[in-house]
Amino acid sequence: MTRTASHLTRILALIPWVIAHPGTSVQEVCDRFGYRSHRELIRDLDLVFVCGLPGYGPGDLMVAYVEEDEVVVDMADYFATAPNLTAAESLALLAAGMTVLASGQGSEELGSAVEKLGRALLPDADEMLVVDMDAEPELATTLRNAASGGQVVEIEYTGLARGEHTVREIEPWIVYASMGNWYVSGHCRRAGGERVFRLDRIRRASPTDETFDVPSPRPQPPDGYVATEDDVVATIELKRGALWVLEYYRLDVVERDDDRAVVRFSTYEPLVAAQLLMRLGPHATLLEGPEVEGALTSLRTSLLARYSGF
Amino acid sequence: MKNVLERLLNLLAFLLTVGRPVSAEEIRQTVAGYDPEGDEAFRRMFERDKDLLRRMGIPLETVQPTGSRTEVSYSIDPRKYGVPDPDLTEDERAALWFASQVVRIGGKTSDAGSFMKLGGTITSDALEPLSADLGEEADVLADMYEAVSGRRRLRLRYGDRERTISPYGLGHRRGHWYLVGVEKGETKVFRVDRMSNVAVTDDTFDRDLAITVAAELESHPWEAGREPSVTATVRIDPDLAWWAVRRLGRSTPTLDHEPDGSLLITLDVTNPDAFVGWVLGFGQSAEVLAPLEMRERIVARIKGEA
Repeated sequence: MTRTASHLTRILALIPWVIAHPGTSVQEVCDRFGYRSHRELIRDLDLVFVCGLPGYGPGDLMVAYVEEDEVVVDMADYFATAPNLTAAESLALLAAGMTVLASGQGSEELGSAVEKLGRALLPDADEMLVVDMDAEPELATTLRNAASGGQVVEIEYTGLARGEHTVREIEPWIVYASMGNWYVSGHCRRAGGERVFRLDRIRRASPTDETFDVPSPRPQPPDGYVATEDDVVATIELKRGALWVLEYYRLDVVERDDDRAVVRFSTYEPLVAAQLLMRLGPHATLLEGPEVEGALTSLRTSLLARYSGF
Repeated sequence: MKNVLERLLNLLAFLLTVGRPVSAEEIRQTVAGYDPEGDEAFRRMFERDKDLLRRMGIPLETVQPTGSRTEVSYSIDPRKYGVPDPDLTEDERAALWFASQVVRIGGKTSDAGSFMKLGGTITSDALEPLSADLGEEADVLADMYEAVSGRRRLRLRYGDRERTISPYGLGHRRGHWYLVGVEKGETKVFRVDRMSNVAVTDDTFDRDLAITVAAELESHPWEAGREPSVTATVRIDPDLAWWAVRRLGRSTPTLDHEPDGSLLITLDVTNPDAFVGWVLGFGQSAEVLAPLEMRERIVARIKGEA
């Protein structure tokens, strides 16, 4: 939205609210409608005061002023409700509520809020909008609470490709969903650095008695893969049948046209890339990456041994 | 800015109360803020204002000339202007505010403006340790929502062909948005990020109440194919058996736990390619036991042949 549109929205939302809440205070209106100072609010009220219906005489203009500490708006019946939400705003609000509920992180109040909002905005909302988050609600709750309170958590984690179990202590920062998976990011004491763990690979998470200082401001979800010093990089060519990979993995795209793409895949575990390459079969080619090549060869050997009995 | 806001407030007040469509010329003569402008300046100013109001969601309609009205005119239906009151308690509003601040669509959380329309924002500095990203296709999704809620047909390009679809609903699943719709009498599921040239038409339709989004989306990747169904059995080793159970989720196929801790899964496959990919996702910890042709298929994939 442009600045003018946001400003106009704020005024058109404020007028009906003040009309419906006579006697409201300057501070309350400032808090609700995002005014940083009383003066800023009074400037907008002055502006409303000179607008109204054609004729633009004293009986035609809206009335808006502050008396003592009270905000007064009158003669503005045509603005008795705020403008409707746009399609994008309606969807964003409903989907946000449904997402948190589907993640098992919602409250009873959120449940009734989404139900009421759905009833008001979307006929048959339950039928028309569905958000499925494939969440691990208990794990998410444990980790989120630990992140809130700065509590160290011991997790039993299975590495992505090797199926290797490790037990590690982490200082969780934020629990987040991205591209269909849930993660927790934080400081891993075992690795000695920032790491991201997929929730579905955490078999168990137990909060310990130990606390840590949450970095301030709280780190937000990393945008994409968090690289580490030990990372290996593979350059992979994706053919038409493998282009879906671009939508499921965050990769550096080196070249891209309609039929193919060349990407750089960074991972601290070469087997992850090897496994992906195997899934893609003839639709992808490893252009460069000796570690990944080695991992692919050994994965191939052990799987063929497993299937050799026929 | 002050003059623009005054003019827009006057224009809105006029259109909401006048009770009939009015021409641009009448607006120019009547509404304070337009009067001193020359023809060209007025035209540009009025176009900009209309555009801005419409993008805010205000239902400013263009009425074509009919009967005695010889000019294009403009109107706002006061019944369509206002936000329906969901009647939220303060606790409900706070819960919704929290959700709106941790969920992103198109890289952004909800605009504060949408909360002001519902009675104001909530002051809170706490950055919650929770976040969810629902993908990038915010503009297309808004069009989809408009079509679904208004029961209006969509025209769009999907899979190299133009289509007309009666949209039933939207679903977010495994990181992607899907549209459930009816095309030529057949219920189908479309990936929103693969659509292009999307247009919401004025052509409305009646919903068939038997079709629901949830039911249409309820499937695993290996079920989303058109090949004849084949029953397959997979063994998952004890180290990842727990993970397999978790990944299978609600609509669980037949599961048998073996004494050694491994897991036998029996499932029906109509998309063998997706099935092979899913099994390989378990690395060395999974093996297709039957049928033979599926074993052959996976071996060919392991060798990099197919």
